[in-house]
Amino acid sequence: MTSQTHAGQTIIDPPEDGQFRNGQATNGSTPSPTTLSLHLTINGQTHALEVEPRVTLLDALRERLHLTGTKKGCDQGQCGACTVHVDGERVLACLTLAAQVEGRSVTTIEGLAGEDGTLNAVQAAFLEQDAFQCGYCTPGQIMSAVACIREGHAGSDEEIREYMAGNLCRCGAYPHIVAAVRQAAQELRS
Amino acid sequence: MTVHDMKHAASDSARLEAVGGRLSRVDGPAKITGKAHYAFEQQLEGLTHAVLVSATIAAGKVIGIDTRAAETAPGVLAVLTPDTIMVLKGASDWLGNPPAQPTYNPLAREVTFSGQHIAAVVAETFEQAVAAAALVKVSYDETPAIVDLSDGTDGIPIEAMTKEWGNAEAAFAAAPVRVCAAYNTPREFQAAMEPHGLIARWQGDELTIWEPSQWVDGMARTYAEWFGVPFENVRLVSPYIGGGFGSKALALAHSAVAAAAAKMLGRPVKLVLNRPQNFTSYGGRAATRQTVAIGADKAGRIQSIVHRGVNETAVDGMWVEPLGSVTAIMYATPNFSSKQNVVRVNTVVPGAKRAPGENPSAFGIECAIDELAYELGIDPLEMRLINYAEQDPQVKKPWSTRQLREAFAAGAEAFGWAKRSPAPHSMRDGRQLVGWGVAAGTYPVRRAYGEAMVKILADGSVEVESSSIDMGQGTYTILAQTAAETLGVPVEQVTVKLGDSLLARAGVTGGSRLAGVMTGAVYKAASQALDELVGLALSDPRSPFHGLQANTLAVKDGRIASPRGEGPELSIAELMGMLGRERIEAKGDTVPAGFTPEQRYNNYTTIAMALPHTEGDYSRHSWCAHFVEVRVDEDFGTVRVSRVVSALDSGRLYNPKLAESQWKGGIIMGIGQALLEEGIVDRRHGRIVNGNFADYMLPTNADIPDIQTISVGIPDPHSSALGGKGVGELGIVGVAPAIANAVFHATGKRVRDLPITLEKLI
Repeated sequence: MTSQTHAGQTIIDPPEDGQFRNGQATNGSTPSPTTLSLHLTINGQTHALEVEPRVTLLDALRERLHLTGTKKGCDQGQCGACTVHVDGERVLACLTLAAQVEGRSVTTIEGLAGEDGTLNAVQAAFLEQDAFQCGYCTPGQIMSAVACIREGHAGSDEEIREYMAGNLCRCGAYPHIVAAVRQAAQELRS
Repeated sequence: MTVHDMKHAASDSARLEAVGGRLSRVDGPAKITGKAHYAFEQQLEGLTHAVLVSATIAAGKVIGIDTRAAETAPGVLAVLTPDTIMVLKGASDWLGNPPAQPTYNPLAREVTFSGQHIAAVVAETFEQAVAAAALVKVSYDETPAIVDLSDGTDGIPIEAMTKEWGNAEAAFAAAPVRVCAAYNTPREFQAAMEPHGLIARWQGDELTIWEPSQWVDGMARTYAEWFGVPFENVRLVSPYIGGGFGSKALALAHSAVAAAAAKMLGRPVKLVLNRPQNFTSYGGRAATRQTVAIGADKAGRIQSIVHRGVNETAVDGMWVEPLGSVTAIMYATPNFSSKQNVVRVNTVVPGAKRAPGENPSAFGIECAIDELAYELGIDPLEMRLINYAEQDPQVKKPWSTRQLREAFAAGAEAFGWAKRSPAPHSMRDGRQLVGWGVAAGTYPVRRAYGEAMVKILADGSVEVESSSIDMGQGTYTILAQTAAETLGVPVEQVTVKLGDSLLARAGVTGGSRLAGVMTGAVYKAASQALDELVGLALSDPRSPFHGLQANTLAVKDGRIASPRGEGPELSIAELMGMLGRERIEAKGDTVPAGFTPEQRYNNYTTIAMALPHTEGDYSRHSWCAHFVEVRVDEDFGTVRVSRVVSALDSGRLYNPKLAESQWKGGIIMGIGQALLEEGIVDRRHGRIVNGNFADYMLPTNADIPDIQTISVGIPDPHSSALGGKGVGELGIVGVAPAIANAVFHATGKRVRDLPITLEKLI
């Protein structure tokens, strides 16, 4: 599998023929769709997966790899709860097929803290500012916030609001999310 | 009986971790690292996946379901239809009323709303189930649907909603100044970020359900009744809830489908509603219409209020959104009349959404009083003070506490209300018209009896257990604070276990009652555990305190000693070791003595035993005042909320950091209600056409300004054991009218239909 970049947009080629194989019959008569053998790098670890081509990165994480920190809010690319990083950029896992990220580096909320458990500055700021209530949108908010700061889009409260607007929070933690992103951005600058 | 020393609590009350301290969420670290496993994220061996097929008509009959293609699709284990799913028993309702029908089929042959569940496909994987569900072909005999309130009749009068005193109609007719207008709110949705769903697993005749729940014991009761098994055979687990806002208190049709499928297949089944199904599988807030007529004298004193309301309900289910609840108590009036009807339309049964009743009720009365203020040329804030209700006008009892005057004063001061230019359309900033509006809100203090288990373990740690839940309000945190303070141990030593029906029972988490109920129960249980510890320390010959002649001991920072300073000072762990105890357990409750086991069961599994907020000598409510600035684009009519200052009286706050978050969350949901949210129904098919997060617009971060909240509450001993009143619902009540009033002030246009969208202003 190869990937190319055109005009800033990453396009991922479909898997080559050799990576397809016929699936086993699951109910005695009907063959299952073709499955793919994938090797995904998630939080620095390689995982081997046999999945159908239609499996999204989100469902691969949650249902196959049991990494449930990445949340499914809408499964339609509308809420941001499933935000993960692919090669350091924020991506909606529900609109990304698992096969698209082979050979790329995926980071989820589980991989954000240091190996010794030291929280990322954004995680710590979310806790201190009470930037969440139910916590369901929170992994997506935090992944988005880390990228937002890295992108250089945390220069003012207005800018933070705009660049965090793709992550819905029904509990209404927005003012505290802005405060947390502002705090983390300042800490990371200093 | 030992009386333990509680003085340490008062002396430490300023500490972060004591009740009233700004402790960060104790469940926070799990939530920010992805380690918090929500209910249907449990990993089970042999898990199967179910996907629902929903009706595409709003009224009619299912005349055929062709399942052949689905049944032979890869991975499919079963296709369930109304004819093939196991038939369940009818279950009692949330009041405990026995079922109207002896049997219950969660898949429908007779369709009464679009999105009703018709069939379900169970497969080995989620993708297989989704694909196969698309192959199920349903044919219908469609009949005309009633799609909204205006299509129905006048509806059905709900006599229990009638509130009257004096002669309201005559007094209104005779009043020198009169305003009368109609106020409408659309169908709105809770739209929690976590969808509804569950995992169901049977082991013999024991059922385990992992499902986000605002009412673990109530839902367990429903499952037990559906399947005819004892309550004890159902375990419902809900460790974290990804938002509920009223929607996750009941076991629903899709819940029954999953549990039935698991039983039929003999394998665990996971069923999660997709986002569009979350708009049709359970009810949001009913659409409402109100007329409010206020008659006043020329000084602005209200002489009469005449209120008529109507809300939509379902063809085969009843929901009453109490529209006169705020109307009847906010202002003093000698004459009052409120009546309400419901109209049946083809919708899923509407349900509870944050402050059901109070929220739309406040939209009516708080806009109407604003209109009266302009009619008389009186400042809207002054208007509210002129008509300040010194007691509950409806039941004629004193308020337990009502810091609303203080809320008006504190909010106005912080907002700068005195600098307001009174005339509409008189403040601007470039091309933006600026408007300032005010409105009040209130929510009753709902009370109930509760219980909790507190365990002191051999290592000195403490466990608090309850089947109550935390959906973001902060239950884990405030119960840890309550136990820590009561026992005199550091909060890090306390573990709180919630959301499991195996634990000490709890009633519904709704109506802002949980914090008051559960802090009281934990205080009671922890006090009993401490009594036992101190009693053993004084009486057990193995204890170094034995023979001290002391009649009590004090615990502070996890260490126990005589309050007079004589004798040793030990850690709780050291003392437990000397006593040879593994644990001390105390189940404490606030249930009246003499309650039978059945009464206790009903106390936790129905809402029938909740205590009225006007019981006894007082009327108990929380109160708030919202001050809002809007900016309306003069050319395009777009409305932005640019500033909010709210002063709120929730009594004593158990944790101000978390309470402020809930208040702000309510205010933000109110901004959505005022400006964005509206379920739009396609008139041809009675279908919600914007059932997704792109088209049903929730507020985003970019829509929300900084919000200042001010606590003006004082401890209210009549409302709860520790002095708190409700927090969660209060914040939203009054926000939409404050915004509507600010829009009027900005533009001179009175919009009485929510949401206030640009086409209504240009």
